[in-house]
Amino acid sequence: MADAEEFDFGDNVDTATFEQILDMDDADEDDAHEFSKSIVFGFLDQADSTFAKMETSKYVRPDKSIHVVRTLIHYVLRKDKDLKELSSLGHFLKGSSATLGFTKVKDECEKIQHYGQKKDETGATDEPDEEKCLRLIGQSIAKAKTAYDEVKRLMEQYYAKLEGNA
Amino acid sequence: MDPGGQNANNSSDFVRKLYKMLEDPSYSSVVRWGDDGDSFVVLENEKFTKHILPKHFKHSNFASFVRQLNKYDFHKVRQNNEDGQQSQYGPNAWEFKHPEFKANSKDTLDNIRRKAPAPRNKGAIVDGDMPIQQIDLMNQQIVAQAQQIQMLEASNHELRVNHQTMVQEMVRLHRTVLNHDRVMQDVMKYLNTVDAQQRRNSKVLFPNAQDNAGTTLTPTSQNIGAVDEEAPASPLQHAQQLMQEYNVDPQLNFPGFENSYPSAAQNGMRGPASTHSSGSMGYSKLSDGQLEQIVYPTGGNNGIDPMYSEHLPHIPYPLPSKEVDAGELRNKYAESRKKSNYADPGWARSPRVLLVEDDPTCRQIGAKFLLSFSCTIDTALDGLEAVSKVQEGGKYDLILMDIIMPNLDGVSACHIIRQFDRTPIVAMTSNIRSDDIQMYFQHGMDDVLPKPFTRKSLLDMLEKHLMHMKKIPEGMAPPAPVGVNPSLTTHPPNSRSVQDDMSQGASPAGSTGTWNSPSQYSGVSPVSASMSIPYANYMDSNNAAYQAQPTTPLNPNRPMLPAGPQPGMMQHRRGPSEMSGQDMNPAVKRQRVSGTYTGQPVAARPQ
Repeated sequence: MADAEEFDFGDNVDTATFEQILDMDDADEDDAHEFSKSIVFGFLDQADSTFAKMETSKYVRPDKSIHVVRTLIHYVLRKDKDLKELSSLGHFLKGSSATLGFTKVKDECEKIQHYGQKKDETGATDEPDEEKCLRLIGQSIAKAKTAYDEVKRLMEQYYAKLEGNA
Repeated sequence: MDPGGQNANNSSDFVRKLYKMLEDPSYSSVVRWGDDGDSFVVLENEKFTKHILPKHFKHSNFASFVRQLNKYDFHKVRQNNEDGQQSQYGPNAWEFKHPEFKANSKDTLDNIRRKAPAPRNKGAIVDGDMPIQQIDLMNQQIVAQAQQIQMLEASNHELRVNHQTMVQEMVRLHRTVLNHDRVMQDVMKYLNTVDAQQRRNSKVLFPNAQDNAGTTLTPTSQNIGAVDEEAPASPLQHAQQLMQEYNVDPQLNFPGFENSYPSAAQNGMRGPASTHSSGSMGYSKLSDGQLEQIVYPTGGNNGIDPMYSEHLPHIPYPLPSKEVDAGELRNKYAESRKKSNYADPGWARSPRVLLVEDDPTCRQIGAKFLLSFSCTIDTALDGLEAVSKVQEGGKYDLILMDIIMPNLDGVSACHIIRQFDRTPIVAMTSNIRSDDIQMYFQHGMDDVLPKPFTRKSLLDMLEKHLMHMKKIPEGMAPPAPVGVNPSLTTHPPNSRSVQDDMSQGASPAGSTGTWNSPSQYSGVSPVSASMSIPYANYMDSNNAAYQAQPTTPLNPNRPMLPAGPQPGMMQHRRGPSEMSGQDMNPAVKRQRVSGTYTGQPVAARPQ
């Protein structure tokens, strides 16, 4: 269990928080890290599907110009709803990533939550320009996904290492 | 006639009198109109002054008369002609002229008005006022300053009094801590001797026992792990080191005083009792994360005034007894090695917690934490499920309620539950803005736990609201808050288990949980949040500690209790029954108590 200290997560993971989870692992059991592993990989799956939902709900896709027509229709009908939806998805993912100590993912999700509420990234001041909010959400989703991919990779490595030792 | 009088309306009295006077023919030898009728002449000064002035003008001062004339813009006509001839009226005649003052025109009299006051006069008045005004101002200032000085004096006095009190308290605290230190030394000495004995024994049996890792040589020496046969166990060494580091110097050394010593005390206690691997973890975690919570709570006395015996239970340190069985202590620690940072909170019975959380990750983690705190857990996925669980009769000791959930949010769920249930509900949320928090409380929440929570913060919250469920070495349970189900009362086995716990000595195991509980003080009024921290010998005196709880005191030994605090009776009765089958000698402890602490228990001791 002290292995988390030796494994370098960089600043992707807040080790103090993550270690709490690891502490809960009962090393005497056959599958020593069953608990933390299930939490972590459960989260990764959860994040996967959340990102997918974000992709479908946000109509501004930064890289797909084919969908211009569709996005224009969405623009008229669903813009505000999308912002709210995105905000709540961001909030949702923020909670679980924070509990695991995945700080980068959490930070980006928090920004998404704020942008979705039409505020700036800190949530302090209003950002009335919905276009801008959506654009920023798009950016944050991308960053969150990057951070998430990184954390996923690290976690897979970490558990491989742990189980290799155990 | 009033020289300063108003003359706004008509021609002044003076002018009218003048005119009238001139109409009197009997005066013609003394004062009369001028030959052309456009002036008047005073022919005989003396007579005029003596006789006529008093009659008409109520004074006999010719100079005043002339002044008055000047005021009304009369002008003296010079008596001497250019060619030096005398005036037609005589050498002493005074002729006065005013363009509106004519013998045959009464009407124009009104036009004779006082001149605008001469600058000199006005200036004189103004100048005269100025100093007065200035003086007034200065007087006011002086008065204000005098008042200020008074106030300053009063507050200075207050400060001095407070300072005095503080210094006295500091001195007492210091004395208390010194006593603690002495106690520590005693315990350390004792443990050292026990340890030495053990080593000697193990050396005899296993001369090759050099293992550092504390392997299973014998059950009793399992955790000693002596490296060097002659040296004391490394945990003990460590403890010694720490004690020396944080030496309490008899000189009262203010600043870092409170902080440094208690942490050493706690580390010192833990040291010999845990294996070194977890022991070191214990130290680091303890000193870094929990320092504030080991210290006496700050802020006045905060319920720990050494003068008041009823505060003794508040002191977060249990008094260890000499009869402690060191070996057993170590064994107990070996078992809880993994969770040595947060040892078993020591519940009298397992709290039933309802965890309401929609996010599976948070739910699983929360549940696992709660399990590790020996709680019984039920979960709900949203507010709706939570409400139905409680409605259908689920009895919980605590509800942890997420706020943002589908179907029914936490606040609404709480509101509904509050219609028929008083179980403590703690909001879990990342929204900790003050207006949100107000809303939570308004809808019946009892507390707020910010997310993401740490294991520690969760434990703190549990302890805060479930204080009444903690095991106490002597088996005294403080009264529970309102609404907790009476089923708690039907657990006589608790007293049994409590006694067992007691037989292990005022073990750090049981009390470590209480060491954590000083966290209740953080940010919350200690009076309301935490009643007495269960502490062995002082329970019977601590009636006053259970203050302001409009509660049903729950007590495993007493099946039914009326509402309202009657802890005095309860504890009093418990004392003897609890004490009677104990391993240790209560009398010894009691004596230590009275020797060590200045306060005397209020209630009579059952001896």
